[in-house]
Amino acid sequence: MEEEKEAVMVTPGEVLGRTSDVKAGRGAYAALHNNTVYASLTGFRHTVPPAPDSSDLRPTVEVTGHKAHGPVPQPGSVVIARVTKVMARSASADIMCVGPKSVREKFTGIIRQQDVRATEIDKVDMHLSFHPGDIVRALVLSLGDARAYFLSTAKNELGVVSAESIAGATMVPVSWTEMQCPLTGQIEQRKVAKAAS
Amino acid sequence: MAGKGGATPATYSPSPTTNRKKKPPIFKEDWVRPDGRGFHQCRPAFFRTGAVNAASGSAYAEFGNTKVIVSVFGPRESKKAMMYSDIGRLNCNVSFTTFATPIRGQGSDHKEYCAMLHKALEGAIILETFPKTTVDVFALVLESSGSDLPVVISCASLALADAGIMMYDIVASVSVSCFNKNLVIDPILEEEIGQDGSLMITCMPSRYEITQLTVTGEWSTTKINEGMQLCLDACAKLAKIMRSCLKEVASDSQE
Repeated sequence: MEEEKEAVMVTPGEVLGRTSDVKAGRGAYAALHNNTVYASLTGFRHTVPPAPDSSDLRPTVEVTGHKAHGPVPQPGSVVIARVTKVMARSASADIMCVGPKSVREKFTGIIRQQDVRATEIDKVDMHLSFHPGDIVRALVLSLGDARAYFLSTAKNELGVVSAESIAGATMVPVSWTEMQCPLTGQIEQRKVAKAAS
Repeated sequence: MAGKGGATPATYSPSPTTNRKKKPPIFKEDWVRPDGRGFHQCRPAFFRTGAVNAASGSAYAEFGNTKVIVSVFGPRESKKAMMYSDIGRLNCNVSFTTFATPIRGQGSDHKEYCAMLHKALEGAIILETFPKTTVDVFALVLESSGSDLPVVISCASLALADAGIMMYDIVASVSVSCFNKNLVIDPILEEEIGQDGSLMITCMPSRYEITQLTVTGEWSTTKINEGMQLCLDACAKLAKIMRSCLKEVASDSQE
Protein backbone atom coordinates (compact mmCIF):
# COMPACT_ATOMS: atom_id res chain seq x y z
CA MET A 1 0.00 0.00 0.00
CA GLU A 2 1.25 3.42 -0.92
CA GLU A 3 1.07 5.93 1.87
CA GLU A 4 0.29 9.51 1.07
CA LYS A 5 3.45 11.52 1.26
CA GLU A 6 3.90 14.24 3.81
CA ALA A 7 2.75 17.64 2.59
CA VAL A 8 5.44 19.41 0.59
CA MET A 9 5.04 23.00 -0.59
CA VAL A 10 5.56 23.53 -4.31
CA THR A 11 5.45 26.60 -6.52
CA PRO A 12 4.70 26.95 -10.24
CA GLY A 13 7.39 25.35 -12.35
CA GLU A 14 8.73 22.91 -9.80
CA VAL A 15 9.29 19.37 -11.04
CA LEU A 16 6.87 16.82 -9.59
CA GLY A 17 8.07 13.73 -11.43
CA ARG A 18 8.40 12.05 -14.78
CA THR A 19 5.42 11.35 -17.00
CA SER A 20 6.38 7.69 -16.95
CA ASP A 21 6.06 7.62 -13.16
CA VAL A 22 3.15 9.92 -12.30
CA LYS A 23 0.10 11.46 -13.92
CA ALA A 24 -0.66 15.17 -13.78
CA GLY A 25 -3.77 16.02 -11.77
CA ARG A 26 -5.20 19.31 -10.56
CA GLY A 27 -2.72 22.12 -10.33
CA ALA A 28 -0.11 20.27 -12.38
CA TYR A 29 0.65 19.77 -16.04
CA ALA A 30 2.78 17.45 -18.15
CA ALA A 31 5.39 18.91 -20.49
CA LEU A 32 5.63 16.43 -23.33
CA HIS A 33 8.84 17.77 -24.82
CA ASN A 34 10.90 16.48 -21.89
CA ASN A 35 8.41 14.03 -20.28
CA THR A 36 8.26 15.95 -17.02
CA VAL A 37 5.35 16.84 -14.76
CA TYR A 38 5.47 20.38 -13.34
CA ALA A 39 3.34 22.22 -10.81
CA SER A 40 1.26 25.10 -12.12
CA LEU A 41 -0.01 26.44 -8.79
CA THR A 42 1.38 27.25 -5.37
CA GLY A 43 0.25 24.73 -2.80
CA PHE A 44 0.84 21.37 -1.21
CA ARG A 45 1.80 18.36 -3.24
CA HIS A 46 -0.45 15.31 -2.88
CA THR A 47 -0.11 11.87 -4.39
CA VAL A 48 -3.31 9.95 -5.09
CA PRO A 49 -2.92 6.18 -5.53
CA PRO A 50 -4.35 4.76 -8.76
CA ALA A 51 -7.78 3.16 -8.71
CA PRO A 52 -7.53 -0.59 -8.02
CA ASP A 53 -9.27 -1.60 -11.23
CA SER A 54 -7.43 0.89 -13.41
CA SER A 55 -5.04 -0.41 -16.01
CA ASP A 56 -2.79 2.61 -15.50
CA LEU A 57 -0.62 1.92 -12.48
CA ARG A 58 0.78 5.43 -12.18
CA PRO A 59 -0.36 7.53 -9.22
CA THR A 60 -1.81 10.99 -9.77
CA VAL A 61 0.01 13.97 -8.32
CA GLU A 62 -2.00 17.08 -7.42
CA VAL A 63 -1.30 20.52 -6.02
CA THR A 64 -3.96 21.73 -3.58
CA GLY A 65 -4.40 23.71 -0.44
CA HIS A 66 -3.34 27.21 -1.34
CA LYS A 67 -5.87 29.82 -2.26
CA ALA A 68 -7.12 29.61 -5.82
CA HIS A 69 -8.61 32.38 -7.86
CA GLY A 70 -12.32 33.03 -7.68
CA PRO A 71 -14.60 30.46 -9.31
CA VAL A 72 -15.32 30.79 -13.02
CA PRO A 73 -18.48 29.34 -14.58
CA GLN A 74 -17.78 26.18 -16.55
CA PRO A 75 -20.13 24.27 -18.85
CA GLY A 76 -21.99 21.78 -16.69
CA SER A 77 -21.72 23.64 -13.40
CA VAL A 78 -24.80 24.64 -11.41
CA VAL A 79 -24.93 28.34 -10.61
CA ILE A 80 -27.08 30.67 -8.54
CA ALA A 81 -28.00 33.84 -10.42
CA ARG A 82 -30.13 36.91 -9.93
CA VAL A 83 -32.44 37.86 -12.78
CA THR A 84 -31.76 41.41 -13.91
CA LYS A 85 -33.91 41.82 -17.02
CA VAL A 86 -36.76 39.85 -18.58
CA MET A 87 -37.40 40.18 -22.31
CA ALA A 88 -39.81 38.50 -24.69
CA ARG A 89 -37.47 35.69 -25.67
CA SER A 90 -34.77 35.67 -22.99
CA ALA A 91 -33.90 36.72 -19.46
CA SER A 92 -30.64 38.25 -18.35
CA ALA A 93 -29.11 37.21 -15.02
CA ASP A 94 -26.02 37.96 -12.96
CA ILE A 95 -24.21 34.83 -11.81
CA MET A 96 -23.50 35.13 -8.09
CA CYS A 97 -22.42 31.63 -7.06
CA VAL A 98 -20.75 28.79 -8.92
CA GLY A 99 -21.65 25.66 -7.03
CA PRO A 100 -21.15 26.40 -3.33
CA LYS A 101 -18.70 29.27 -3.89
CA SER A 102 -19.59 32.88 -4.52
CA VAL A 103 -17.87 34.73 -7.34
CA ARG A 104 -15.81 37.81 -6.63
CA GLU A 105 -17.05 39.72 -9.64
CA LYS A 106 -20.26 39.05 -11.47
CA PHE A 107 -20.56 37.13 -14.70
CA THR A 108 -23.47 37.74 -17.04
CA GLY A 109 -25.70 34.83 -17.97
CA ILE A 110 -28.70 34.58 -20.25
CA ILE A 111 -31.65 32.18 -20.13
CA ARG A 112 -33.17 31.78 -23.57
CA GLN A 113 -36.78 30.90 -24.22
CA GLN A 114 -35.96 27.41 -25.43
CA ASP A 115 -33.96 26.66 -22.27
CA VAL A 116 -36.60 27.50 -19.66
CA ARG A 117 -38.29 24.09 -19.50
CA ALA A 118 -38.06 20.75 -21.21
CA THR A 119 -41.70 20.53 -22.32
CA GLU A 120 -43.90 22.85 -24.40
CA ILE A 121 -40.90 24.91 -25.42
CA ASP A 122 -42.87 26.98 -27.92
CA LYS A 123 -45.45 28.07 -25.35
CA VAL A 124 -43.01 29.50 -22.81
CA ASP A 125 -43.88 33.01 -21.68
CA MET A 126 -40.78 34.64 -20.21
CA HIS A 127 -42.76 37.08 -18.07
CA LEU A 128 -44.68 34.19 -16.47
CA SER A 129 -41.42 32.36 -15.69
CA PHE A 130 -39.08 34.97 -14.23
CA HIS A 131 -39.24 38.40 -12.72
CA PRO A 132 -36.41 40.89 -12.17
CA GLY A 133 -34.86 40.31 -8.76
CA ASP A 134 -35.63 36.59 -8.61
CA ILE A 135 -32.93 34.22 -7.45
CA VAL A 136 -32.67 31.26 -9.81
CA ARG A 137 -30.70 28.05 -9.86
CA ALA A 138 -29.50 27.24 -13.36
CA LEU A 139 -27.15 24.99 -15.28
CA VAL A 140 -24.41 26.46 -17.45
CA LEU A 141 -25.04 25.11 -20.94
CA SER A 142 -22.04 26.60 -22.66
CA LEU A 143 -19.71 29.55 -22.64
CA GLY A 144 -22.23 31.29 -24.86
CA ASP A 145 -21.18 34.30 -26.86
CA ALA A 146 -19.05 37.32 -26.10
CA ARG A 147 -21.70 38.85 -23.87
CA ALA A 148 -23.12 36.13 -21.66
CA TYR A 149 -23.00 32.51 -20.61
CA PHE A 150 -25.93 30.38 -21.76
CA LEU A 151 -27.94 29.10 -18.80
CA SER A 152 -30.69 26.53 -18.68
CA THR A 153 -33.49 25.83 -16.19
CA ALA A 154 -34.93 22.90 -18.14
CA LYS A 155 -34.85 20.48 -15.22
CA ASN A 156 -37.16 19.96 -12.25
CA GLU A 157 -34.61 21.07 -9.67
CA LEU A 158 -33.69 24.21 -11.63
CA GLY A 159 -35.62 27.45 -11.69
CA VAL A 160 -36.64 30.15 -9.27
CA VAL A 161 -35.62 29.37 -5.70
CA SER A 162 -36.52 32.70 -4.11
CA ALA A 163 -38.77 35.53 -5.21
CA GLU A 164 -40.37 38.57 -3.64
CA SER A 165 -43.98 39.53 -4.08
CA ILE A 166 -45.34 42.99 -4.78
CA ALA A 167 -45.86 43.42 -1.05
CA GLY A 168 -42.18 42.76 -0.48
CA ALA A 169 -42.40 39.40 1.24
CA THR A 170 -40.58 36.25 0.20
CA MET A 171 -43.05 34.04 -1.60
CA VAL A 172 -43.66 30.36 -0.92
CA PRO A 173 -43.70 27.88 -3.82
CA VAL A 174 -47.05 26.12 -4.09
CA SER A 175 -46.60 24.27 -7.38
CA TRP A 176 -44.09 23.98 -10.16
CA THR A 177 -45.54 27.05 -11.85
CA GLU A 178 -46.89 29.14 -8.97
CA MET A 179 -45.69 30.97 -5.90
CA GLN A 180 -47.85 32.56 -3.21
CA CYS A 181 -47.31 35.59 -1.02
CA PRO A 182 -47.76 34.72 2.67
CA LEU A 183 -49.03 38.22 3.47
CA THR A 184 -51.60 38.90 0.79
CA GLY A 185 -52.26 35.45 -0.63
CA GLN A 186 -51.48 36.72 -4.11
CA ILE A 187 -50.41 33.95 -6.49
CA GLU A 188 -47.75 34.71 -9.10
CA GLN A 189 -46.50 32.60 -11.98
CA ARG A 190 -42.87 31.40 -11.90
CA LYS A 191 -40.77 28.54 -13.20
CA VAL A 192 -40.27 27.10 -9.73
CA ALA A 193 -37.32 24.91 -8.78
CA LYS A 194 -38.08 21.67 -7.02
CA ALA A 195 -36.90 21.93 -3.43
CA ALA A 196 -33.96 19.74 -2.54
CA SER A 197 -35.05 17.13 -0.02
CA MET B 1 29.84 42.15 -36.23
CA ALA B 2 27.74 44.63 -34.31
CA GLY B 3 24.05 43.84 -34.08
CA LYS B 4 21.47 46.60 -33.90
CA GLY B 5 18.59 46.41 -31.46
CA GLY B 6 14.92 45.95 -32.33
CA ALA B 7 12.88 48.31 -34.45
CA THR B 8 11.58 50.19 -31.41
CA PRO B 9 14.25 50.13 -28.71
CA ALA B 10 12.72 50.96 -25.34
CA THR B 11 14.41 52.75 -22.51
CA TYR B 12 13.97 51.23 -19.11
CA SER B 13 13.16 54.39 -17.21
CA PRO B 14 12.54 58.05 -18.01
CA SER B 15 15.87 59.77 -18.33
CA PRO B 16 16.11 63.14 -16.59
CA THR B 17 17.02 65.76 -19.13
CA THR B 18 19.43 67.70 -16.97
CA ASN B 19 21.41 64.57 -16.13
CA ARG B 20 22.08 63.85 -19.78
CA LYS B 21 24.48 66.75 -20.00
CA LYS B 22 26.95 65.52 -17.43
CA LYS B 23 28.66 62.47 -18.88
CA PRO B 24 29.79 59.79 -16.45
CA PRO B 25 33.57 59.33 -16.30
CA ILE B 26 35.20 57.19 -18.95
CA PHE B 27 35.33 53.57 -17.92
CA LYS B 28 38.53 52.40 -16.27
CA GLU B 29 39.67 49.10 -14.92
CA ASP B 30 39.76 50.30 -11.35
CA TRP B 31 36.37 51.94 -11.62
CA VAL B 32 33.97 51.08 -8.83
CA ARG B 33 30.22 51.09 -9.26
CA PRO B 34 28.41 53.98 -7.58
CA ASP B 35 26.81 51.73 -4.96
CA GLY B 36 29.91 49.64 -4.36
CA ARG B 37 28.73 46.43 -6.02
CA GLY B 38 30.83 44.15 -8.16
CA PHE B 39 30.19 44.07 -11.89
CA HIS B 40 28.33 40.77 -11.74
CA GLN B 41 26.49 41.38 -8.49
CA CYS B 42 22.79 42.19 -8.32
CA ARG B 43 21.16 44.54 -5.87
CA PRO B 44 19.52 42.99 -2.80
CA ALA B 45 16.04 41.72 -3.65
CA PHE B 46 13.04 41.84 -1.33
CA PHE B 47 9.65 40.30 -2.19
CA ARG B 48 6.38 40.16 -0.33
CA THR B 49 2.99 38.90 -1.49
CA GLY B 50 -0.46 39.89 -0.32
CA ALA B 51 0.22 43.61 -0.23
CA VAL B 52 -3.17 44.68 -1.65
CA ASN B 53 -6.27 43.36 0.08
CA ALA B 54 -8.80 44.14 -2.64
CA ALA B 55 -6.86 42.31 -5.34
CA SER B 56 -7.02 38.60 -6.08
CA GLY B 57 -3.25 38.54 -5.87
CA SER B 58 -0.59 41.13 -5.23
CA ALA B 59 3.10 41.45 -4.63
CA TYR B 60 5.60 44.08 -3.57
CA ALA B 61 9.21 44.07 -4.70
CA GLU B 62 12.32 46.07 -3.92
CA PHE B 63 15.58 45.91 -5.81
CA GLY B 64 17.83 48.35 -4.05
CA ASN B 65 15.95 51.62 -4.40
CA THR B 66 13.56 50.44 -7.12
CA LYS B 67 10.18 49.79 -5.51
CA VAL B 68 7.27 48.20 -7.37
CA ILE B 69 3.81 47.03 -6.35
CA VAL B 70 1.66 44.83 -8.61
CA SER B 71 -2.02 43.91 -8.27
CA VAL B 72 -3.81 41.14 -10.14
CA PHE B 73 -7.57 41.08 -10.61
CA GLY B 74 -9.53 38.22 -12.05
CA PRO B 75 -10.28 35.99 -13.79
CA ARG B 76 -13.24 38.26 -14.30
CA GLU B 77 -15.70 39.05 -17.03
CA SER B 78 -14.29 40.58 -20.19
CA LYS B 79 -15.67 43.88 -21.34
CA LYS B 80 -18.64 43.58 -23.64
CA ALA B 81 -16.82 45.26 -26.49
CA MET B 82 -14.22 42.51 -26.69
CA MET B 83 -14.51 39.61 -29.08
CA TYR B 84 -15.26 36.12 -27.87
CA SER B 85 -12.13 34.20 -27.02
CA ASP B 86 -11.71 30.50 -26.35
CA ILE B 87 -8.70 31.19 -24.18
CA GLY B 88 -8.24 33.72 -21.44
CA ARG B 89 -7.11 37.26 -21.99
CA LEU B 90 -4.32 39.13 -20.22
CA ASN B 91 -4.32 42.90 -19.77
CA CYS B 92 -1.28 44.70 -18.42
CA ASN B 93 -0.84 48.25 -17.24
CA VAL B 94 2.38 49.80 -15.97
CA SER B 95 2.39 53.27 -14.47
CA PHE B 96 4.78 55.43 -12.51
CA THR B 97 3.87 57.59 -9.56
CA THR B 98 4.58 61.29 -9.86
CA PHE B 99 7.27 61.00 -7.21
CA ALA B 100 8.92 57.93 -8.73
CA THR B 101 11.64 59.73 -10.66
CA PRO B 102 14.19 62.33 -9.52
CA ILE B 103 12.37 64.93 -11.62
CA ARG B 104 8.80 65.15 -10.39
CA GLY B 105 6.47 64.68 -13.30
CA GLN B 106 3.11 63.48 -14.44
CA GLY B 107 2.34 59.93 -13.36
CA SER B 108 1.95 58.62 -16.84
CA ASP B 109 1.33 55.24 -18.38
CA HIS B 110 4.20 53.78 -20.33
CA LYS B 111 2.70 52.05 -23.31
CA GLU B 112 5.88 50.27 -24.33
CA TYR B 113 6.29 48.94 -20.80
CA CYS B 114 2.74 47.58 -20.87
CA ALA B 115 3.42 45.79 -24.15
CA MET B 116 6.69 44.33 -22.91
CA LEU B 117 5.15 43.18 -19.64
CA HIS B 118 2.33 41.52 -21.57
CA LYS B 119 4.76 39.72 -23.88
CA ALA B 120 6.83 38.56 -20.94
CA LEU B 121 3.88 37.12 -19.01
CA GLU B 122 1.62 35.64 -21.68
CA GLY B 123 4.13 32.93 -22.53
CA ALA B 124 4.12 31.70 -18.93
CA ILE B 125 0.40 31.74 -18.10
CA ILE B 126 -1.80 28.78 -19.02
CA LEU B 127 -4.52 30.82 -20.70
CA GLU B 128 -6.71 27.81 -21.51
CA THR B 129 -7.63 27.40 -17.85
CA PHE B 130 -9.93 30.46 -17.82
CA PRO B 131 -11.73 30.72 -21.17
CA LYS B 132 -13.68 33.84 -22.06
CA THR B 133 -12.47 35.73 -19.00
CA THR B 134 -9.82 38.36 -18.40
CA VAL B 135 -6.95 38.69 -15.96
CA ASP B 136 -5.88 42.28 -15.31
CA VAL B 137 -2.38 43.09 -14.07
CA PHE B 138 -1.71 46.57 -12.70
CA ALA B 139 1.88 47.51 -11.92
CA LEU B 140 2.81 50.70 -10.11
CA VAL B 141 6.41 51.85 -9.82
CA LEU B 142 6.72 53.66 -6.51
CA GLU B 143 10.38 54.56 -6.91
CA SER B 144 12.45 54.31 -10.06
CA SER B 145 16.15 53.67 -9.60
CA GLY B 146 17.20 51.79 -12.69
CA SER B 147 16.23 48.40 -14.14
CA ASP B 148 12.57 49.07 -13.48
CA LEU B 149 11.04 46.76 -16.07
CA PRO B 150 12.80 43.56 -14.88
CA VAL B 151 11.59 44.28 -11.35
CA VAL B 152 8.05 44.85 -12.63
CA ILE B 153 8.07 41.56 -14.54
CA SER B 154 9.40 39.51 -11.63
CA CYS B 155 6.94 41.12 -9.22
CA ALA B 156 4.02 40.57 -11.62
CA SER B 157 4.74 36.86 -11.93
CA LEU B 158 4.81 36.62 -8.15
CA ALA B 159 1.44 38.39 -7.96
CA LEU B 160 -0.03 36.00 -10.53
CA ALA B 161 1.17 33.02 -8.52
CA ASP B 162 -0.34 34.60 -5.42
CA ALA B 163 -3.66 35.00 -7.25
CA GLY B 164 -3.78 31.31 -8.06
CA ILE B 165 -3.46 31.76 -11.82
CA MET B 166 -2.09 28.59 -13.38
CA MET B 167 1.37 29.14 -14.82
CA TYR B 168 3.98 27.03 -16.53
CA ASP B 169 6.69 28.49 -14.32
CA ILE B 170 7.60 31.56 -12.33
CA VAL B 171 8.97 34.32 -14.53
CA ALA B 172 12.22 36.00 -13.48
CA SER B 173 13.82 38.91 -15.27
CA VAL B 174 17.22 40.60 -15.09
CA SER B 175 18.95 43.17 -17.27
CA VAL B 176 22.59 43.91 -18.01
CA SER B 177 24.34 47.02 -19.33
CA CYS B 178 27.32 47.24 -21.64
CA PHE B 179 30.15 49.73 -21.11
CA ASN B 180 32.68 49.48 -23.94
CA LYS B 181 33.80 45.90 -23.37
CA ASN B 182 32.56 45.33 -19.85
CA LEU B 183 29.22 44.01 -18.65
CA VAL B 184 27.45 45.39 -15.60
CA ILE B 185 24.46 43.46 -14.29
CA ASP B 186 21.33 45.00 -12.78
CA PRO B 187 22.32 48.61 -13.53
CA ILE B 188 21.10 51.54 -11.47
CA LEU B 189 19.87 54.79 -12.92
CA GLU B 190 23.28 56.49 -13.06
CA GLU B 191 24.72 53.52 -14.92
CA GLU B 192 21.83 53.30 -17.35
CA ILE B 193 22.31 56.89 -18.42
CA GLY B 194 25.82 56.33 -19.73
CA GLN B 195 25.50 52.79 -21.07
CA ASP B 196 26.47 51.80 -24.62
CA GLY B 197 23.85 49.06 -24.81
CA SER B 198 21.50 47.05 -22.66
CA LEU B 199 20.15 43.52 -22.65
CA MET B 200 17.10 42.27 -20.78
CA ILE B 201 16.16 38.62 -20.43
CA THR B 202 12.90 37.23 -19.08
CA CYS B 203 12.95 33.49 -18.57
CA MET B 204 11.24 30.57 -16.86
CA PRO B 205 14.17 29.21 -14.87
CA SER B 206 13.10 25.64 -14.11
CA ARG B 207 12.13 25.01 -17.72
CA TYR B 208 15.14 26.99 -18.99
CA GLU B 209 13.04 28.84 -21.55
CA ILE B 210 13.12 32.53 -22.45
CA THR B 211 9.84 34.40 -22.80
CA GLN B 212 11.37 37.72 -23.80
CA LEU B 213 14.71 39.09 -24.96
CA THR B 214 15.29 42.78 -25.54
CA VAL B 215 18.55 44.18 -26.91
CA THR B 216 19.34 47.86 -27.40
CA GLY B 217 22.51 49.56 -28.55
CA GLU B 218 25.49 47.91 -30.16
CA TRP B 219 26.52 44.40 -29.20
CA SER B 220 28.96 41.89 -30.59
CA THR B 221 27.86 38.27 -30.84
CA THR B 222 30.23 37.09 -28.14
CA LYS B 223 29.12 39.88 -25.83
CA ILE B 224 25.47 38.98 -26.33
CA ASN B 225 26.19 35.36 -25.46
CA GLU B 226 28.12 36.40 -22.40
CA GLY B 227 25.38 38.79 -21.32
CA MET B 228 22.67 36.19 -21.84
CA GLN B 229 24.52 33.63 -19.76
CA LEU B 230 25.07 36.19 -17.03
CA CYS B 231 21.37 37.03 -16.97
CA LEU B 232 20.26 33.40 -16.98
CA ASP B 233 22.44 32.63 -13.97
CA ALA B 234 21.06 35.64 -12.14
CA CYS B 235 17.49 34.65 -13.04
CA ALA B 236 18.00 31.19 -11.57
CA LYS B 237 19.15 32.71 -8.29
CA LEU B 238 16.31 35.23 -8.36
CA ALA B 239 13.74 32.47 -8.88
CA LYS B 240 14.96 30.74 -5.73
CA ILE B 241 14.27 33.92 -3.77
CA MET B 242 10.81 34.20 -5.32
CA ARG B 243 9.91 30.59 -4.57
CA SER B 244 10.98 30.94 -0.95
CA CYS B 245 8.79 34.05 -0.69
CA LEU B 246 5.74 32.16 -2.01
CA LYS B 247 6.33 29.21 0.29
CA GLU B 248 6.86 31.40 3.32
CA VAL B 249 3.59 33.26 2.87
CA ALA B 250 1.66 30.08 2.15
CA SER B 251 3.03 28.28 5.19
CA ASP B 252 2.30 31.34 7.32
CA SER B 253 -1.29 31.34 6.15
CA GLN B 254 -1.55 27.68 7.02
CA GLU B 255 -0.45 28.25 10.58
